[in-house]
Amino acid sequence: MAKRERSRRHFLMAAGAAGVATFAMPYIKTARSAGKLLLGTWDHWVPGANEVLRKVCEDWGSANGVEVTVDFITSVGNKLLLTAQAESRAKTGHDIYVQPLWFPSMFRHRLEPVDDVVGDIIAEYGALHPSAKFLAYLDDAWRAAPAPAGSLNYASVSRLDLYEAHAGVDLKTIFPASEARDPALVDSWTYDAFLAAAEKLHAAGKSFGAPIAPTPDGNQWLAALFAAYGAEVVSESVEITVDSDETRTVLEYLSRLTQYMPNSVYAWDDASNNRWLISGEGSTIFNPPSAWAVANRDNPDVAKHVWHHDTPRGSKGRFRADSPFFWGIWDFSENISAAKDLLRYVARRDVVDTLVSASKGFDIPLIISHYQSNDLWAKSEPPHGVLYNYPIRGDEQPVAAGYPAPPEYAAQIMAQGIIPNLVARVTQGGDSFDDAISWAENELEGIMRG
Amino acid sequence: MTNVTRNNGALSALLGSKSNIHVNRRWALFASYACLIVFVIFFLCPPFYMLVTSLKTNAEIANLATNPWLIEQGVTTEHYSHLLTETAFLTYFKNTVIVAFFVVAITMVVSVLAAYALSRLGFWGSGVMATGVFLVYLVPDSLLFIPLFNIVGGLGLLNSYWVLVLVYPTLTVPFCTWIMIGYFASIPKELDEAALIDGANHMQMLLKVFIPVALPGLIAATIFAFTVSWASFLYPLAYIYSDNQMVLTVGTVTTLIKGDVFHWGGLMAGALLAAAPPVILYAFLMDYYIAGLTSGATKG
Amino acid sequence: MTVGVAVRGLPERAPSVRRGRFYLWLRRRSTIAVMMCFPLLAIITCLVAYPFAYSIYLSMLNKAETAFVGFGNFLFLFKRETFWLVVQQSILFALVAVIFKALIGLIAAHAVNTIPSKGQRKWRGMMMVPWVIPPALSTLGWWWLFEPTYSAFNWLLAEFAVPAVPWLSDVFWARFSVILVNVWVGAPFFLIMYLASLKSIPEDLYEAASIDGASAWQKLFHVTLPMMRNIIAITVLFSIIVTFANFDIVRVLTQGGPRNSTHLFATYAFRVGIESGDIPLGAAVSLFMFPALAILSFVILRNVRQRTVNI
Repeated sequence: MAKRERSRRHFLMAAGAAGVATFAMPYIKTARSAGKLLLGTWDHWVPGANEVLRKVCEDWGSANGVEVTVDFITSVGNKLLLTAQAESRAKTGHDIYVQPLWFPSMFRHRLEPVDDVVGDIIAEYGALHPSAKFLAYLDDAWRAAPAPAGSLNYASVSRLDLYEAHAGVDLKTIFPASEARDPALVDSWTYDAFLAAAEKLHAAGKSFGAPIAPTPDGNQWLAALFAAYGAEVVSESVEITVDSDETRTVLEYLSRLTQYMPNSVYAWDDASNNRWLISGEGSTIFNPPSAWAVANRDNPDVAKHVWHHDTPRGSKGRFRADSPFFWGIWDFSENISAAKDLLRYVARRDVVDTLVSASKGFDIPLIISHYQSNDLWAKSEPPHGVLYNYPIRGDEQPVAAGYPAPPEYAAQIMAQGIIPNLVARVTQGGDSFDDAISWAENELEGIMRG
Repeated sequence: MTNVTRNNGALSALLGSKSNIHVNRRWALFASYACLIVFVIFFLCPPFYMLVTSLKTNAEIANLATNPWLIEQGVTTEHYSHLLTETAFLTYFKNTVIVAFFVVAITMVVSVLAAYALSRLGFWGSGVMATGVFLVYLVPDSLLFIPLFNIVGGLGLLNSYWVLVLVYPTLTVPFCTWIMIGYFASIPKELDEAALIDGANHMQMLLKVFIPVALPGLIAATIFAFTVSWASFLYPLAYIYSDNQMVLTVGTVTTLIKGDVFHWGGLMAGALLAAAPPVILYAFLMDYYIAGLTSGATKG
Repeated sequence: MTVGVAVRGLPERAPSVRRGRFYLWLRRRSTIAVMMCFPLLAIITCLVAYPFAYSIYLSMLNKAETAFVGFGNFLFLFKRETFWLVVQQSILFALVAVIFKALIGLIAAHAVNTIPSKGQRKWRGMMMVPWVIPPALSTLGWWWLFEPTYSAFNWLLAEFAVPAVPWLSDVFWARFSVILVNVWVGAPFFLIMYLASLKSIPEDLYEAASIDGASAWQKLFHVTLPMMRNIIAITVLFSIIVTFANFDIVRVLTQGGPRNSTHLFATYAFRVGIESGDIPLGAAVSLFMFPALAILSFVILRNVRQRTVNI
């Protein structure tokens, strides 16, 4: 009760102050904000990114008399989620905990509302990425604020040389590393064009590869494909809508596409597609830039021909899957006010720019103006501008597996891999469309239970 | 048993010639070695491959053109040195040793006391209890770790390796108690009657008579407890996240797998280094282990 | 922690007036026995029985853990196709793996026991390696052997012009692979238990059989196996329980895929409970096998005890 009152008072205080003042003025030490702050965040895949984030937080702490401790927790083996479950049940642990993708929904009852923080951020820097509200504004309150690091998306990552040699497609001209796009060319990059290219590349022994397995990567690229054809498994109004012509169209498309993919994709994990590209066998994967970064280390001959670009367009538009990261404050935290101030601090442009550089462009800020103002992706190399199109530059809309179902259902659709399993039943198991769809309906009923 | 001796008397005339036995013996030896070679290849193939991978450069691991079973582009120890100098591997190692030490100590005290009581001081319900101890394994850690969150949180042990000292005995104590019950049961009753007549109380008898006699059984139980506490995976995965509290099994995986980027050379090096202490322990104590199980397990 | 200290320390601290009776009570066998069992009981009660009871309670709540639904979660599971797939696969996995572990253990133990005792240490040592490496780590080694793009097994097969095997992506092969790794990890335990038990069979039994002219097979079936009956029963029971509860291997190798075909109770419970956030349903999945395994254990253990008493 006391805690609730305190946060409301704080909200009034923050609302009273002008947003600009909150950010521009150095943080003023108060008795309440001193003390300890434990931060649990994602163990970044890009080497060196953790240390920069730790330093940013500790510097803020020493400037404000708060003892900040940062723990980096891996998402391998879903440890990040397991630890969140542990802390939310044990009601002890960190003060701030990272909340990627569906976490804000899963833990909404344990997360302190941060409307004041998010309000200040929007007032100062403008709109957030469109997915943010869908994922973190739940039950009429912001459950988490944008994280300064970790947000990623699933761009197409292709080999320019292979596309040119075997498919006659010049991806660098369609998606150049500048604003000078030719809309007609961009429009020509459809899933049908992609299929035709995949066939030719497969014939040349350089297939497209993406997991059709219930991993995040497997869920996500299929989610973008489903959305591009308007196929949804559960609607916004929580009805099971998987039995549709759109779903059949996608399954039909995938039956053809999978002919040109390696058979092992049904057992791929999130690292398999990276290895597929790095080994030189693959022509396209859907991934953040980590595959390119490792290729740079282990197989530079591959890396210098890699290009990140937009996904193909379907009949209902062009979609790219993303995984936004938030930071949330546990409601059992004993230092909520200091935690909120740290959340505000890490939304500052200079802080975010530092962290984006540390991640070598892997992270895409959730605050739109922060990535539009940063030329890091345009300058990336080799090849020059390889990451320019990694932040969304064109007509792509963000999507995540399970969308448009409300997050609490979408989270389960993704965790149980309904979409990849539905696809694998048809393309690997040889089920008819009807059988596979009725299997999915049965599974989805299980997810709908209260 | 006695059936065998009776029924087969007639067969002895047919099979009994000495040269025949000799030939049979040679065939048995030949078959035994053949089986052993097949099994050893099967058992050692993954560790061998792990060793080879751990000594390759990253470029060679990523290269599909080379023979994966051989090191063709030069041996490197960079994965080992990276592991030992640039990661918290040695901290994990230290934590694992501490956890294993306390778990083994607690396990031995608890199971020796219980085994003595259950095998010598028969009381109401002791038979059921001796059986029931074993049934603890019916409740797997994958079920227990969720309700244990509350207990662990309440004790303030989340993210501390002492939580492992607390919960690992649930994995080790039942089996060790059971080995010790079997072992104590094999000690002749006359021994403790003599000691009781000499005026020894039960604690003295346990310490002065039973423990020395049952040493092989104790060693077998110790090794079992050590192996389990060294290898357990789910509890540290669920309860520990800080580098300075982490243990080897989970720590190796979490430092060396970065999301969608695996450091295979380092991973294999870490797995082999983490496996080394129990392997060495077994190499030295194997004879005791077998001797301990011989009396304990078979009579159980 | 150490009750030994308490037992010895208590009489001194007891009031001197009542000392006689209290001391006598303390000296009573059953009192001492209960005190000696106390640490064991405390561990089992606090860290197994209580959380176990709590998880039974959890399994009877709705998803949000706000309402009591009785056996609703179990009834709900019975209607799920995927759940029955998990039941089927768990039973297949446990039975096949245990049979092969027991067979390999038996054959290997016999082979070791047959060769001259000088070389036994070496062979035994090499075969114990899988049991000693933490399974979570050795499974990663296996995974690297199965990895689709880099599989070293497929490289070997290719040398013999055999087409690549889809180790983890095909339903049959994925099931084969997880069982193979489980057998690899578990067989040495059987080997060592059987070897210990083989060594405890009195040599004169074999001599008597030899004098009667028994063949090697006859000795195996009429001497060795009957003498090892208890240890085989216990080891198999222990292994069935542990194999049904397996988590690491499937989690690391396949995460239940392809198409949920390799899920075991533990991995499916993890997916439903932790990953999808439906902890009550996850608890129900975990608890499903408990009654069957409890009955099996009870029967086997009772037989073992009766035989022990008879011997």
